[in-house]
Amino acid sequence: MTLVKLAGGRIVDPANGRNGDAADLYLRDGVIVPDPGPGAAIDETVDITGKIVMAGAIDIHSHIGGGKINIARMMMIEDHRKHADAGDGLRRSGGGLYTPTTFVTGYRYAAMGYTAAFEPAMVPANARHAHAELADTPMIDKGCYAMLGSDDFLLRMLANGAEQQAINDYVGWMLQATQSVALKVVNPGGINAFKFNARNLGLDTPSPHYGVTPRRIVAALARAVNELGICHPVHLHCNDLGVPGNWETTVGTIDAAEGLPLHLTHLQFHSYGTEGDRKFSSAAAQLAEVINRTPSVSVDIGQIIFGQTVTASGDTMIQYRNHRHAHPKKWMCMDIECDAGCGVVPFRYRDENFVNALQWAIGLELLLLVEDPWRVFLTTDHPNGAPFTVYPHLIRLLMDRGFRRDMLKTINKHAAAASTLGGIEREYSLYEIAILTRAAPARSLGLLDRGHLGVGAVADITVYTERENREAMFARPDYVFKDGRLIARNGEVTDIVWGATHVVRPEFDQGIEGPLEDYFNRFQTVRLGNFRVTDDEMEDEGRSRLVRHPCRRTTP
Amino acid sequence: MSGLALTLRDPPRQRLDLSPLTPDRLAGLDEAAIAAIELISGNQRLRVGDLFAIAIGDPADLSIRNACDKLDFIGRAMTDGTITVEGDAGAYVGLGLRGGRIHVRGGVGPWAGAEMHRGVIEIDGDAGDFTAGAVPGETKGMRGGLVIVRGNAGHRAGDRMRRGILVIEGSVGSHAGSRMIAGTVAVLGAAVGPYPGFGMKRGSLILSSAPERPSPTFADCGAHDLGFLKLLPQAVGDRSSRLAELWAMPPRVRRFAGDLAAGGMGEILIRRI
Repeated sequence: MTLVKLAGGRIVDPANGRNGDAADLYLRDGVIVPDPGPGAAIDETVDITGKIVMAGAIDIHSHIGGGKINIARMMMIEDHRKHADAGDGLRRSGGGLYTPTTFVTGYRYAAMGYTAAFEPAMVPANARHAHAELADTPMIDKGCYAMLGSDDFLLRMLANGAEQQAINDYVGWMLQATQSVALKVVNPGGINAFKFNARNLGLDTPSPHYGVTPRRIVAALARAVNELGICHPVHLHCNDLGVPGNWETTVGTIDAAEGLPLHLTHLQFHSYGTEGDRKFSSAAAQLAEVINRTPSVSVDIGQIIFGQTVTASGDTMIQYRNHRHAHPKKWMCMDIECDAGCGVVPFRYRDENFVNALQWAIGLELLLLVEDPWRVFLTTDHPNGAPFTVYPHLIRLLMDRGFRRDMLKTINKHAAAASTLGGIEREYSLYEIAILTRAAPARSLGLLDRGHLGVGAVADITVYTERENREAMFARPDYVFKDGRLIARNGEVTDIVWGATHVVRPEFDQGIEGPLEDYFNRFQTVRLGNFRVTDDEMEDEGRSRLVRHPCRRTTP
Repeated sequence: MSGLALTLRDPPRQRLDLSPLTPDRLAGLDEAAIAAIELISGNQRLRVGDLFAIAIGDPADLSIRNACDKLDFIGRAMTDGTITVEGDAGAYVGLGLRGGRIHVRGGVGPWAGAEMHRGVIEIDGDAGDFTAGAVPGETKGMRGGLVIVRGNAGHRAGDRMRRGILVIEGSVGSHAGSRMIAGTVAVLGAAVGPYPGFGMKRGSLILSSAPERPSPTFADCGAHDLGFLKLLPQAVGDRSSRLAELWAMPPRVRRFAGDLAAGGMGEILIRRI
């Protein structure tokens, strides 16, 4: 019941329209409480006069748990040899730069002022494993997006002309059974088509076995999410990732959602044109223009930063295509329980390479050309574009035009010349960065009491000293509070806490279990009753307290 | 000036990582500075002075005396100088060696000479598995230099080897030269375990006797007189008298090309068949 006062900070809280006004914050029982008035007994005062106060940052798309990232950890064993962190009594040992261990993932996020991260591609069959890993990820709030769209059961339903209601029930059942907070779709239909030897699948191409087009899958799932009343729209990884000219697929996919809300993830990988001598160009300007006039669409970027990393994706089609670029030369692709796939390909982004350099520029172009900061989120698609630890560097690239232009001079000169990045004047303000990294992701995910500093909000708070060098500023926040407890000081973890797991509980007709049970009995290696992850399993360890978010059904 | 000698007082309870103790890293340090160096043993940090008696001398000629098989990473990534180990050594002797010479008078654990680039490792006793191989996760094993094992070697000797010469004077376990990319492995002993050359892409695996179970994915190319084999003792010099002795005979071998399951550009050359 202690009352903590954060005195004199400058509040940057876009959700409540506050932009740097000096004010005190009061924390009690893990939430932000109103000013108790003069004479109230304050147990602890933290003097943060003149420092910048923001809500804890939220990473809306970061592969931190589940099957494929664990495979990446095993495959990139040298990452753990080269970047080992010893335990120190407080923290447990671990390591890895681009495939960090679960504990180190939590510590690094917290030290950087992040208090929540969402695993965006949980194959339903891996749900139990994913949640077990996230239960070993301390410090931060977590949540998972269940991945559908190439699963046999859904494709059977679509091929047989099932009604939308049945699809809604299936999606609702899956989200509940896998303890998810949103729905992810990866290369709709493409992962399944790959298993029937297709090596690409256009938006309007019927898939080889089921004859269902990606457009149909997107439309059905966007509608299901909407009708189930799940706050976060379909989290969509479009078809044709990485293929020159794929920006047209991306625009087509926006049309496929038929005006329903849609989130396009790691858009950078889907914004390529075919112009120029090398038939590879930036289509960021065209796409940003489409996004600016389509308010139903939000995006995250999947920015790349040069260096060694590993790409881990459910998109076996694209990972198989890219395996020849694997560096170091090792890779894997696999099917998982007919749910989807999994491909892990190590990759080194090189600034002297034309394509990589242009990818870097395209991501920044998108971030700077999409005008509404409420609809664009800062991600590197960890670890696919770069590990999440580069976020402070990325923020500096957005906030500091001079720094950005200096970096542009160091990349492949043909790519630099082909990019419009040098001509973009925009610099993000602290207020906009707070939208990108806090307010907007919280609003998109429906986390009503997170991502802002209003009364009643969970006391997830990050305090920075304002510095000219934004990278230094965001890398080492002065104070980080999680649920009102101080967990990091000056970029070092000082206390270990366990965050909550966010889930949705849509309403659906339990009758869907009839055909599902039959399907499980015939084709799956586990029975339906064992597939479901129960609340008790989640909460037993005391590390994954469930936060259930209501769903607002729109149509029956 | 005689060499620097570190004499182990008692065998450590846990494995001990000796990677800080190489001639290049010890150059210019006095006795107190050497005694203060931290070594990791299990989950503890210990000091050199607590574990070893130090007889100061030229660090370019370092001896580790009274050694035992718990001492890992001897000569890791060293660039110059000589390390002589009196006794056995643990795993990863000369891991990533860049130059210089390591002489172990006893036996060694697994991954001796793994990923080394240059330099010479001589092992008077037996070697463990993955000699001159690649540690898990790495795509290339030994990349250059010379490793001589005067005793027997374990399984998967020369795994993923990329370049360099590995001479095993004794016998070898299963899968010798597995996944070899290039380089030369010579086995002089009488016993060769099953499936030599498993998955080898290129490289030469030279055996003195026929393997216990040959791989089915090697094609018999018949007997040849390969004059270039005379070059091998020259490259090894006087470090292996057994090799010199053996190759004094005419260089007639039976050649098997393979592994055909991995491109088939490698070869197994068998002296007596």
